[in-house]
Amino acid sequence: MEELFANLSLGFETAVSLQNLTYCFIGVFVGTLVGVLPGIGPLAAIAMLLPATFNLPPVGALIMLAGIYYGTQYGGSTTAILVNLPGESASVVTCMDGHAMAKNGRAGPALAIAAVGSFFAGTVGTILIAVFGPPLAEVALKFGAPEYFSLMTMGLIASAVLASGSMLKAIAMIFLGLIFGIVGTDVNSGMSRFTFGASGLADGLSFVVVAMGLFGFGEILSNLEKGEEASSRDLLNAKLTHLYPTWEDMKLSAGAILRGTAIGAFFGTLPGAGPTISAFSAYALEKKVAKNPEQFGKGAIQGVAGPESANNAAAQCAFIPTLTLGIPGSGTMALMLGALTIQGIAPGPQVMTQRPELFWGLIASMWIGNAMLVILNLPLVGLWVKLLRVPYRLLFPAILTFMAIGVYSVNNLDLDIYLTVFFGLMGYVFLKLKCEPAPLILAFVLGPLMEENLRRALLISRGDPLVFFTRPISATFLILTILLLIVMILPAVRKKREVAYQEPPAA
Amino acid sequence: MSQAIKSALAIFAVTVTAALPLAVAAQSYPNKPIRLIVAFPAGGSTDIVARLVAQRLGERLGQQVIVDNRGGAGGTIGTEIAARAAADGYTLTMGTTSTHVIAPAAYTTVKYDPVKDFEPITLVASTPYLLVLHPGVKANNLKEFIALVKSQPGKLNYASAGTGSTTHLAMEMLNRAASMDIVHVPFNGNGPAGTAALGGQVQALFGSMPAVLPHAQAARLRPIAVGTSKRSPALPNVPTVAESGFPGFEVSLWLGFFAPKGTPKVVLDRLQKELTDIANNAEMKAAFEKNGASGVTNTPAEMRMLMKEELDKYGKVIKAAGIQLK
Repeated sequence: MEELFANLSLGFETAVSLQNLTYCFIGVFVGTLVGVLPGIGPLAAIAMLLPATFNLPPVGALIMLAGIYYGTQYGGSTTAILVNLPGESASVVTCMDGHAMAKNGRAGPALAIAAVGSFFAGTVGTILIAVFGPPLAEVALKFGAPEYFSLMTMGLIASAVLASGSMLKAIAMIFLGLIFGIVGTDVNSGMSRFTFGASGLADGLSFVVVAMGLFGFGEILSNLEKGEEASSRDLLNAKLTHLYPTWEDMKLSAGAILRGTAIGAFFGTLPGAGPTISAFSAYALEKKVAKNPEQFGKGAIQGVAGPESANNAAAQCAFIPTLTLGIPGSGTMALMLGALTIQGIAPGPQVMTQRPELFWGLIASMWIGNAMLVILNLPLVGLWVKLLRVPYRLLFPAILTFMAIGVYSVNNLDLDIYLTVFFGLMGYVFLKLKCEPAPLILAFVLGPLMEENLRRALLISRGDPLVFFTRPISATFLILTILLLIVMILPAVRKKREVAYQEPPAA
Repeated sequence: MSQAIKSALAIFAVTVTAALPLAVAAQSYPNKPIRLIVAFPAGGSTDIVARLVAQRLGERLGQQVIVDNRGGAGGTIGTEIAARAAADGYTLTMGTTSTHVIAPAAYTTVKYDPVKDFEPITLVASTPYLLVLHPGVKANNLKEFIALVKSQPGKLNYASAGTGSTTHLAMEMLNRAASMDIVHVPFNGNGPAGTAALGGQVQALFGSMPAVLPHAQAARLRPIAVGTSKRSPALPNVPTVAESGFPGFEVSLWLGFFAPKGTPKVVLDRLQKELTDIANNAEMKAAFEKNGASGVTNTPAEMRMLMKEELDKYGKVIKAAGIQLK
């Protein structure tokens, strides 16, 4: 304990220097600005801004990059809520109830609760890293191919819960997502699948392309159809009752924030789809425990608070394997390790002992960065909400332009822009058919990981499927999956039918 | 500098200009920023070497050298862009064993010819491959490891950064050289492959030095052999595969500069001179060594030779192992 305090005080000493505070602020500020641009998520933002940190001292560079990381993460939620544009896969969940809240004139409370939830989750995440970092990292090493497969299976089954409408349509969307996930080079054989000879498809469809198309583009198309007057009314007529959450909102969200944080902290340490799985699981859980499950998808504040906290806790805990073992859990974390290498620091377990000021300084700066984020963003809520008053004839072209730039900037490929248009048209059709795109997106993200790990697990076990049941962690996930199925199929089917009868179809 | 000398120089310059238009091209090169295409994403090992060199090259040429990351499809997208770029010396690319040997040999769809479409300039660095074992594996050196694999053929597994990656081919070469049978389990990149070896999901990994060196130093992975012909200064006690009974065994990843075919010779000569100086610079060598790489230089002729030899060497392994990528 004493050592922990000594370490933390070293960390704060490092982070609170004027220079490092400035780097932290610049990172958070630039991250937020870049993050609200549609299509630019943390990965693209860090890749673009990485060279800017090359000439900074190592601690400063890392603190600034970490600031950019949570800045973009948060900025991504802002666009998800305001204009239905998820910046990264975890924000897809935020779109569902966040944007619904914005349509009800409650964009302010949605943004504010996202900021508060993220800050709380970030604080818990930081404490977890400081206290349990190294032992938690060892847990990550226990996850082999069978464990990942079972975890992904659970996530996929849980995604059916996401749909607020027809179960059959949700399952159809899941399958469609799995098919889109197949595009690209197969990790096991190295063969291309469904690339039609285009080298731009060799690495698969990019998440940004699919999400921007299905959500943002599709939404804009369907709004055009309504004509300006009618569509503006959507956001404006529902008068802005409150800019900030009411007492009632806070009470509803408190539990969701706690549960979301716990889920995020658990999944975040696992290399791979940490934030996405956490956000989706948190949503599914909130919908299950809520007294008002029929409100989900129509603007339930817990549907924003839970996933946002989960996402941020996971984003924070993703640093654990990266810093303590030198194992990058995601593309973004791989970039952070690259930044360390450029600074002449070999990333790995020895960083903590050889460069304690760097390790603890970064941890202290995480908390400072999260605090800055909340201070920066709460006042901005008013500004963002005003943005919604910009007439659609100005707002839509601007969004489309930024979206095209964002999509292009991920891989510098023009093919990606055309693909976004394709998915945009598809998103419009889905809206017409009342098929929700969220399960598709989750299947698109999890499907390839699931397949890869299924085949890898069977390759290592030499074809013996029992491996999924004999390994305890994997078996636990599979049992949870079965329980989830039972819980879902029995009462949910009955309840949903009733709900469908009682309520007029949502617009 | 006195006025007289200045004007004398000016007269000299004018004369030379009239006489040797080519020399002028060299003198005025570069007069605008140079684009260095890196066919891998920012932050990866190729990108890091490229950026270290680019900064110094820019200082020496008096023009900025801008790194343009064009990742994707195993480095073939960016390399193809470089092959098609104007051959004026303002577009260069950082080629590696992956982009200029393995991809063309393994992929049937690569749209450039590594030898015919490029002017090689010089190598700048090379990173060895390091054979590491999970600490639970009962083998302390290469001989014991081979004996262990042979005692239970087809039972042990090794990780690679992907089918057809250098880490895959390195182990396949050893598999063949030692006539042993250890099963290939492909992962999606060096990071996940390293994690699998750390967690004991697989027993072995013939990993790239920068990726596995920190784990070897922390004793979380046991290094038993390096793939280069000489030992690595970073791990002087670890023998080479060649000295452990396989003379001539050599697998490493080299990184070098290429210009599109037809780039003027004066420009290539200038770049060759500057890049050689940079790679041989003591400070640069130290920066490379810290990451388990080493600074190496050669001539364009040697580079062509190297590519031809390696295309042949890896081509054989790819064929024998039945690897076909599309």
